[in-house]
Amino acid sequence: MADLSLNLCGVQMKNPIIAASGTFGFGREYDELYDISALGGISVKGLCLGGRMGNPPSRLTETPSGMLNCVGLQNPGIESFIENDLPWLLEKDVAVIANFFGTSIENYCQAAEAFANTGVHMLEMNISCPNVHDGGVAFGVKPESVYEITKAVKQHSKQPLIVKLTPNVSDITENALAAQEAGADAISLINTLTGIAVDVHKRRMILANNTGGLSGPAVRPVALRMVWQCAKKVSIPIIGLGGIETGEDAAAFMLCGAQAVQVGTANFTDPFACPRIARELGEYCDAQKIANPQEIVGTLKSY
Amino acid sequence: MKDINAKVLSSDTLAEGLIRIILHAPEIACEAKAGQFIHMLVPDCGHVLRRPISLMAMDAAAGTLTLAIQPKGRGTQLICNLKEGDVVKCLGPLGTGFDGKDANTIYFVGGGVGVAPICGAMDAFATESSCAFFGFRTKAHAYGMTQAPCRVVAVSDDGSIGEKALVTKPLLAAIEEKRPDLIMACGPTPMLAAVQKIANEMGIPCQLSLEERMGCAIGACLGCNVKINLPDGSWTYKRVCKDGPVFTSEEVAFGG
Ligand SMILES: Cc1cc2nc3c(=O)[nH]c(=O)nc-3n(C[C@H](O)[C@H](O)[C@H](O)COP(=O)(O)O)c2cc1C
Repeated sequence: MADLSLNLCGVQMKNPIIAASGTFGFGREYDELYDISALGGISVKGLCLGGRMGNPPSRLTETPSGMLNCVGLQNPGIESFIENDLPWLLEKDVAVIANFFGTSIENYCQAAEAFANTGVHMLEMNISCPNVHDGGVAFGVKPESVYEITKAVKQHSKQPLIVKLTPNVSDITENALAAQEAGADAISLINTLTGIAVDVHKRRMILANNTGGLSGPAVRPVALRMVWQCAKKVSIPIIGLGGIETGEDAAAFMLCGAQAVQVGTANFTDPFACPRIARELGEYCDAQKIANPQEIVGTLKSY
Repeated sequence: MKDINAKVLSSDTLAEGLIRIILHAPEIACEAKAGQFIHMLVPDCGHVLRRPISLMAMDAAAGTLTLAIQPKGRGTQLICNLKEGDVVKCLGPLGTGFDGKDANTIYFVGGGVGVAPICGAMDAFATESSCAFFGFRTKAHAYGMTQAPCRVVAVSDDGSIGEKALVTKPLLAAIEEKRPDLIMACGPTPMLAAVQKIANEMGIPCQLSLEERMGCAIGACLGCNVKINLPDGSWTYKRVCKDGPVFTSEEVAFGG
């Protein structure tokens, strides 16, 4: 059986499969189905200081081979997470990635700093959520602002800082480079693609927020292309995500240049998706006679 | 809660626009309570979200679950196309369920496909003095009345079965005659809102079962959240899948 382990920005992980933010809560619910220590990491639901109510219903709808969501970053707050959920999570043998966001650069810095004296292993800065109006994606579109916020937040980060990029831009590699130049330890991509869904009978939007974020296998080709493009430009580690459903999907992202991957929407289709994908990645490696999937990172042959 | 391969024992037409599927799902049936639901995988790739389906009946001894499914969209249509012998992935049982343990007289209110979970609640909690009030579009849409464990009053939109009225009309008449200890209701939002108004104004304890599209269905993704009133006058969002689908009529804030 292949060795799936890796060292991501100094954090040792047993495999490169990470549960994607917003689809896995803080892990408690999925832990009722299986021991979440089977995963390499968990990126927790996006957190901010003081918490947030989120958007009114309806918050999600299925689309062809995908889904749209506009949950709107509902979360109990960093303070509550640290007190009520983190101690439980840290008892699990899994890397804890604190996904967070803010409303201004200072607020982002304060949020990062709030994790300083905790056991959180990595930070994932979300500058790419399309579902909130104050903040989120506002900081993630222009390369200059990606640079500015990454530079500022890095100075307030005790843990390795992952910058999560939005695909809703004309050239994602510029933003990847901006994050790297500003000191990001890694980048993760992609967050959701903005879309809408129409109820033709009511002649109305289906989502209460009007727009939502598209995820699931429908976005996978776009995500793969973006990971592949970014991998050619940056030297920091890349975490790839977008529509991963199987171990072979994970391998595809790694071939494109991702050292680790995240699994989001697939958890809804199959609640056991994350441990299954880890197992399937091992089977793929065995069949391909690969000792550790890190060997294939970025080795995709082009025509 | 288990994710199992359930076998379809039968699939037939229960009423107009409604398919009844009986599943062999012993691991779920042995734990299931009235008002709970299962999250069914659409038997075709490309459908990333499962469909939450209420339990109409459960038989722990036989290991079966009975479902009533309205083929509304492509996903439920595909589920309704399942045939005897087919296997379908089901996660469950999920959600809180109804609770009628301490009530002597319960008035059950169901509308359309919402009659199905009410049938489950009646099997679990109906007493001799209980009564059910079902609203259907027409007689062809009616179901769930032949094996009911208590009296059932049906109404319809066109008068083809029972009175041509909203279900709240016979409900109000019955309340005037005998005040129940509890009301349980499931159905379209306007019906639930009307029942809520009656229950809250008269101070009758009332449980409403809500419906929302769901992502994970286990409480992690917050995709099915609805507005819920808190005792102190403020409100919050709660998860239909995990905190519900059954909420008290005081809690539910419709139109939010
Ligand atoms: C219901 C839902 C909620 C999400 N919430 C967050 C969030 O809080 N923070 C974040 O960075 N990304 C969030 N995302 C985006 C995912 O983490 C991921 O980037 C995206 O869904 C693509 O991956 P997938 O196709 O595997 O789902 C959310 C996605 C979904 C479907």
